[in-house]
Parts: sequence; C-alpha cells; structure tokens
Amino acid sequence: MPRAGSRYEVVIGLEVHTQLRTRSKLFSEAPVTFGEKPNHAVTPYCLALPGTLPVLNARAVELAIRAGLATHCTVHTHSVFARKNYFYPDLPKGYQISQYEEPICTGGWLEIEVPAAGGEEPQRRRIGITRIHLEEDAGKSIHDESLFGEGTLVDLNRAGVPLLEIVSEPDLRSPEEAGAYLRALRELLRAIEVSEADMEKGQFRCDANVSIRPEGSRELGTRTELKNLNSFRFVEEAIAAEVGRQAEILDAGGRVQQATLLYDPDRRRTRVMRVKENADDYRYFPDPDLVPLRIDPARIEAIRAELPELPEARRARFEAELGLLPREAAALVRNRSLAEYFEAAARAHGDPRAVARFLLRDLLAALGDRQPDETALPPEGLARLLRLVDDGRLTARSARDLLPELLERGGDPEALMRSRGLEAVSDAGALGGVVEEVLREHPGEVASFRAGEQKLLNFLMGQVMRRTRGKADPASVRELLLRRLGQGG
Amino acid sequence: MVAALGTLRELAHALEAGTCSAHELVRQSLERAEALEPALGAYLGLRAEAALREAEEADRRRARGAPRSPLDGIPVAVKDNLAIRGEPLSCGSRILRGYVSPFTSTAVAHLERAGLVVVGRTNLDEFAMGSSTEHSCAGPTRNPFDPERTPGGSSGGSAAAVATGSVPAALGSDTGGSVRQPASFCGVVGLKPTYGRVSRLGLVAFASSLDQVGVLARSAEDAALLLGVVAGHDPADSTSLPQPVPDYAAALSGDVSGLRIGIPKEYFPEQGGNAAVFERVRAAVAELVSAGAREVTVSLPHTRHAIATYYLICTAEASSNLARYDGVRYGHRSPRARTLAEMYRRTRSEGFGAEVKRRILLGTFVLSAGYFDAYYRKAQQVRTLIRRDFERAFEHCDLIATPTTPEPAFRLGERERDPVSMYLSDIYTVSVNLAGLPAISVPCGEVGGLPVGLQLIAPPLGEPEVLRAADAYQRRTDWHRRRPAEAA
Amino acid sequence: MDAPGITLEDLRRLADLARLELGDGEATALAADLARILGFVRQLQELDTAGVPPTAHVMELATPLREDEPDAPLPPEEAIRNAPAHEGTAFLVPQVLDSDEA
Repeated sequence: MPRAGSRYEVVIGLEVHTQLRTRSKLFSEAPVTFGEKPNHAVTPYCLALPGTLPVLNARAVELAIRAGLATHCTVHTHSVFARKNYFYPDLPKGYQISQYEEPICTGGWLEIEVPAAGGEEPQRRRIGITRIHLEEDAGKSIHDESLFGEGTLVDLNRAGVPLLEIVSEPDLRSPEEAGAYLRALRELLRAIEVSEADMEKGQFRCDANVSIRPEGSRELGTRTELKNLNSFRFVEEAIAAEVGRQAEILDAGGRVQQATLLYDPDRRRTRVMRVKENADDYRYFPDPDLVPLRIDPARIEAIRAELPELPEARRARFEAELGLLPREAAALVRNRSLAEYFEAAARAHGDPRAVARFLLRDLLAALGDRQPDETALPPEGLARLLRLVDDGRLTARSARDLLPELLERGGDPEALMRSRGLEAVSDAGALGGVVEEVLREHPGEVASFRAGEQKLLNFLMGQVMRRTRGKADPASVRELLLRRLGQGG
Repeated sequence: MVAALGTLRELAHALEAGTCSAHELVRQSLERAEALEPALGAYLGLRAEAALREAEEADRRRARGAPRSPLDGIPVAVKDNLAIRGEPLSCGSRILRGYVSPFTSTAVAHLERAGLVVVGRTNLDEFAMGSSTEHSCAGPTRNPFDPERTPGGSSGGSAAAVATGSVPAALGSDTGGSVRQPASFCGVVGLKPTYGRVSRLGLVAFASSLDQVGVLARSAEDAALLLGVVAGHDPADSTSLPQPVPDYAAALSGDVSGLRIGIPKEYFPEQGGNAAVFERVRAAVAELVSAGAREVTVSLPHTRHAIATYYLICTAEASSNLARYDGVRYGHRSPRARTLAEMYRRTRSEGFGAEVKRRILLGTFVLSAGYFDAYYRKAQQVRTLIRRDFERAFEHCDLIATPTTPEPAFRLGERERDPVSMYLSDIYTVSVNLAGLPAISVPCGEVGGLPVGLQLIAPPLGEPEVLRAADAYQRRTDWHRRRPAEAA
Repeated sequence: MDAPGITLEDLRRLADLARLELGDGEATALAADLARILGFVRQLQELDTAGVPPTAHVMELATPLREDEPDAPLPPEEAIRNAPAHEGTAFLVPQVLDSDEA
C-alpha cells in the first residue's frame, strides 16, 4: 500500500454518533431495546402515524449536558430542534428531528495521548470539538432475499432512539491520533455514564472525514467521507488506506473528488460508494412541533457538580499528588476501572509508585481482557500481596505467580503463599548450603569470576535461584555469593 | 325527512328532562344524515352501530343518575382529519385509503369522556388544504343554501352537517380559516381557539404552527359548551398551552357595555370588495354598539402581506409533514412499483391530489437551499410584524371585527383554475392563524340569499371575550336561527 | 413552456426532492401555477424586515419535558396492521438498490 510519505499532511475530522443511556426514546415513550424482534418496540410516533407528535425526553437532555460539560463545551441555554428532510425507508417521518444552526453544545475539546515512536514519551494534544447535538436514530433496513424476489425489510425498533452527535474539529493528523481520540472519547462517555458505547451493539459509530494537503500548505484539500467504520482498528486502517488512495491521485496529478466511501477490510482498500455532485438539500427548518430547548443555568451547574472526576483531571492529580511519572499516570487513567482500582490499592498500600509499577507491569498482563473489578482480588488484597514482597517474605516473581489464582478465586495472599510453599528463602543458613553446592559444581565459572568476569555472578545467581525454585530472596543470594567468591577457595 | 336536531343546549335539557333518550337522538341524527347524503356530500362515513351502542350506554348512565356530563349521549360529527381508534382516517385523500387509526386524538377523547357520541366523519379538502371542500378525493360537499355552491373549506363537511341539522355541533380544524370560512358560508358559528388551547395530538398535521382544532355549532353558547369539552393542556402535545380552561359558558353574561370593538381600516377599503358584505358586517357591529359597545378605528398595516406570508409558511411545513406518506408503513402503495424509488414517486403521485401536490412543491421550493432566507425566513419575519400589528391594535380595543370572508359562497368550480384567486378568499382569516389568536365567525346576514359572517378576534386566550360578544349579538338577532331551505 | 421564476428544470428538481412524479402536461401546468404563486408572494421582498426576529412559535412556552419512563409499545400485529406489505412483523419494501438512493 502506498504511503503518504512526508510530502503530505493528513487532516482528519471525526463524527461520532453515540446512543444515550435512556430507557425510552428521544421523543416518544417507546422503550429503548436491543435485539428485539422487528417492530416489537414501537409506538404510533415511531411509525409516524398521522397525527402523532414529539415530546422531549428529560434524561436525554441531562445526558447531553453532561457530555458537553465533560468535553469543556459551552452548553447553550437556548437551542433549537430542526427537521432534516430526506426520504429513506428507515426514516418513518420522512425527516429526522436533529439540531442544526443552534445545537445544544459547541466549542469544547478532548485531550488525547499521541503515541510516539520508539519508546519516547507520548505527547498530549487537545483535539477540538466543534459541536455536540441531540438527534433521533433511524430504524434498520435489511436486505431480504426470499422466494418472492428481493426486497428490503424495515424494522423501526431503533427509530427515534436518542443519539448524541459529536463532531470534532479537523485537528487530527494521523490514523493513530484518530484511534486515540476515539478510544478516549468512548472511555469518557462510559466514565460519565452518558452512553454504554458498546460498538458491537452499534452504540458508538464513527464516520471520518479525510483530506490531505502538501506539507506547509494552509489550504484544506478536498475531503472524502468514510462511513460504516465499526471498530477502532478499521477506523485507523481505513484512514490509512484512504490517505494512500488520495496520495496516489495527487501524485499522478489528479484531483480528489468529494465522495462517500466504505472500507473493505479484506482488501484493505477504500471503495467509493457515492460521488457527491452537489450537497444534499435537507431543507433544514426549526421543528414547529417543538419549542426551543431552554435550559436553566442553575441546572447546568448542578449537573457539573455531579460529574465524576474526568480522566485528564485524574491524570494530573496522580502526577501531582501521588508522584507518578507522566507515562504511568496516563496509562492508569485510560481505563476508569483500572484507575479506581489503582487508587484504592495505593491508598491501602501506602506507596503509589510501587503499586503503579506492579499494576502496569504485572497485573495488566495477568488480567488479560478482564477489568480489575471483574476479578476476585480486591484492591486491598493486592496491597497485602505487595506488602509481603516489601517485607522480603515473597519474591516479586513469586508474587506474579500467585496472581492468576488470586484473581480467579481471591483469598488471602499470605495463606496462599504458604499453601504453595512459596515463602521466600532468605535465611543465610539454608541459603548457604545451596550457595556452596553451586560453587562446588561450577569451578570453572568461579575461577573466571575471580579472574575478572563480573557478569558470571548473574549466572551463578541464576543457578541458586533455580535450585531454590525462585523462593530465594535475590538480594540475600547476591550478598552471600559475593562474600563466598571474595573469600578464595 | 326526519327533523333537524336542536342545539346542544336544547338537547341537553331534553335529555335531562327525559323527554327523549340518547338512543332516539342518535338514531334521528343518523337517519337525517343518511337522508341528506349523497346529495349534500357532508359525510365520508357514518359509524351507526358504534354510535347507537354508545348512545345506549349513555342512556344507562343517565338512568342510574351518573351521566358523564350534561352533554352525555348527544350526537356530534368530527372532521375526517381527527384520529379515532378503530375508525378509518382518510383526510379526504387517496393516499390514506384503507388506513385505520390505532389511537384516538385528544380532542375526540375529550368528547368521549363527556359522553358525546361521534356519529360520523365529515368531508374535507384533502389534508385540510383548501377553501371549498372541492379538493376531497370523495367529491365535494355542497352548500346547504345553494347546491351549486361550495360550503367553504376545508371543514366544509362539518359546517354543512351542522347547518342542515344532522348534528348540533361538530369538530373541524382551522389553519388559515378552515373553520370560520365554512361557518360563514353555511350560516353557522365557527370558533378557532388560541393556538395551543386545544391539543393537536391526533389532528393530522397540515401546518403545525398554524393548525388548531375548532368547533362548529349553531350558537355561540353551544360553541362555548363544546370548546369547554375539548380545550385543555395536553402533555403529549409540546405546543399545548398550560393555562387552565375557564368556564366558557359561564362567561356568557350578555353584557358588552364598554367593550371596545376595533375596526381595522385596511379591512374595509373605500373601494373594491363586496359593498353588501361590508354593509352587513357594519350593521352587526352597530348592533353591538347599540348594546353598549364602542367602535374604535384601528390599523393592521401588514394585512396585505398576510396571504403571501401564510402560503409560504403553511406550504413549507406541509411539505415536511406530508413526507411520511410514502407507502412504506400504511396507506396506499402503488402496485406499479418495481424499485423503491418508483414506489415512492408513484405512490405519492397516485395518492395526492393536484392542490396537495401544488402545495408540497411550493413548500419544497420555499425551504430549498438558496431560497430559504428569501422566502421562508422572510415570511417568518413578516409574521412577527403581523403579530405586532395585532398587539398594537389591542392596546386600543378589546376585540377586532371584520368580515369573515370578502364574498359569500362561490360556485363550485369557479376558483379551481386559478389557485391564487382561491387563496385570496382567506384574506380576513389567515392573519389570525399567523398571530395564533382566537376568533369566531357568527352569521350576521345574507347577500343574495347566501349567509354572511362577522368575525370577532381577541388577544391570546380571549375566548371568553369573543364568545360573550358573539352571544350578546345572538341574543339580539336571529341570523343564527335561519336554516337552509330544505331543512325546514 | 417555462414561466418566469420557475423553469421546468427547477420544477423537476423540486418534484425529485418531494418524490413526486409529474407527467409532461402536469409539469407545465404546475410550473405555471407555481410561477403565478411566486409572483404573488414576491411582494414580501419589498418589506423592510431588518432586525425583525422570525416567529417560529406564536406562544412563549417553557420547554415541555417528559420523564424517561418507557411505555408499553404497540402490539406488533397492530404495528403492521396497516402495512401494504410485510414479512413477519417487518415492513417489506422493494429492494433498496444502493445504500443511499430511495
């Protein structure tokens, strides 16, 4: 696949549609469901029967305000619902109630961590959020092939479900940044309980607007729209593929046409779905069945006060108050469950940095796909485990070995340590015998060490550790060996 | 032919006194309606079985001393753009052929709660778009005073039904005059409430910011009774007014002393218009003045822009409101469609009549890119100017009096060729919808044997004032008691 | 035959947006009608409306809100009762040819 090379700068804007955590739909009392049989969750409004009218869901408004506050947007005390008019079988009214010129939130930002090459510290960047607004979801149309020919089945269970549309500024500069933005946004929405954002259930959907321009140019290139990207990986791959496609066109002296494209993950290529000759004429106008949405500023402040600590505030606090390194703090706040687990364990243990190191190095690996709060090991238990290591009663390696069972079945780390016979061996007497054995069996290495090959110490230590099955305290072993080796004979 | 029914007031008394039963009334209503059809063309359908059953239930309630209201068991008719659960809802259009509503409009639910019995659905211009009831897919309704003329529209069926006495009262809808103008043409009372006073849930939307359910009856008193039944806040209608509903009937004191009646000078030009109509309307105002009211000249300078403003706004909203009629989920679907694109186009082209298509196209134009500011937004701005005209005028008067229509009922087919000429017959009524005000039309005379209407307009929530003035007028005159010839 | 202000092409574009199919005779007549109506409404242009706010709603209302309580949905048989065509409880329409064209 051709790469853009350093000649072009990539400009990406993302549009995310996320389903709000409400029990009923945005403008009707129909239940919000998933996986229901077709048209088992609809009311006359959902079917756009003659004479039906919309009434706004209070909770959807509250969640929209929360999302706006968490992304530092201005939450407008006056916003307007507008009709977006077009025809499609999954759009029963022939228009979607959305927001156009006066959305509920504008002008915010989301902080992302930009992955850096080769071990460098990741950088933090703010990605602008142009606007956030409320709108109705459409139903589903499914291609159907039956004995009678081909047709389309229309299921309106999803029609009218509340969505938040979140539009970013075209501030993203690489597929990796796009991925980082999406992950951060999804995590934030879940953290503030605005959306479950389960991509498999279609609760978090992303469209990408991609353009490229010669390095140093101020003008934006023609942008194309990538739709139906249903995983983070596909988003990144699709953007990379599209950048390659556009670069090829420009390199050959051509012009990029405005178009909507889909991504083919098998071929790793983007495919033009529809060329946009003219913009669609949606004939937006304020919905006359609804009055403007007026929000009391006091209500906004009340919702702000109830917001949980946001990831970037938490990250800053971990650095400032708990003394974590930037890299450590950033890694821990990426996941709310992990951050809360860490904090509880650090509080119980007393040394946040030690806890952070252990968590990031050893616990994450042992967790696999699970969240820390989905295991049987509470934060206090982890703290107790670490204290055993601190006291020299358990080696770090043995602590690692105990993790899988603790996570799976819980229990007291000390009791488990004893039952598995993993108590560290540091008693000089017991160790002394092993050390003597090892020195006797490896006279050659002993001689070489004494002759100056210092690194053979590690080999000899390894031998001792093996014989003690890792239970020996490394510091004690090292001390004993050095003493014996220093003595001649 | 079985006799015409009396007023709501008279029937309520009779029921209470036991001189007749609800079952008898409903049967009389159905028989008379059937006898007058199909010549009159007022009804699209009668629900005889259900109505008689409901009447029996009303009689049983009365027998055990528990009527739902004083009006329990009285027959009424409903314009066929108001949903009734289990009943067809056609809106006078082919595109809703076969459609049966699974829910009932709030206004009709209120009727049911009061015990009123809906005997039938009345004819209308398709989707309430028209001023003559000639644009119904079922054919026109005829004016009871002259079968070669229109009864007005779009609530022509309801007006004719009330005028010919098959029902004492009926519900209609008014977007630009569709209750008041047919009331005027048919010699009955027609009231359009303040926008938001009556719930629009279940009223098939034409122009959402203008539509209101209205009442047609033989007297202001009856209009007051029926309005009291259907008015009120509805949480299921986001444009519904929260204010409590006063006792409209109790406000009919007959006293208009000191009432200032504004005469807009632009509405009574020196030249042009029908002099006879103006004369009748002025005489009606004089009648009120002799009862103690005062006449005041006011100005509504943006009147001449009202029709243009109205037709830009109502068609824009209609073009969007009618997008749902696409053959996917209900109603007509073209049998000739092989692809989805064909299905949409053919269904809508087969299903909609010419006037509806005209308005949809105009509305689409008004909202389309490049024209939105010049047309739609401009019209909404002029609408503000029209509202301000009324606000300023009401600083100097309590009610505004105008003719309801510039001419009495025109002939069938007379205005079909030129849509603009049809639109101009709404000139006195549309600005009232644009400003969201309450207004009533009461019969105030005849010109060439055809009824003429006086329109009284009040500030928002001024229904008690217009009803009081109308009622006072009717205590001193008897134009509202005159019936069309055959209905003797 | 084009009428001033609304060409036949304009009309076809509008008909397309509104999903209406017009025969040639119908199109010509409608274009003329619309031109006449537009000529009539153009008088609004002469009005000075600088600074005048558009009326979106005649009555000032506080935003009505609904508690987030789901209600019982329609029984599925009722949902499809008026359907011109259905398969099971889903509405059935002719195939959508391309993801966006309807």
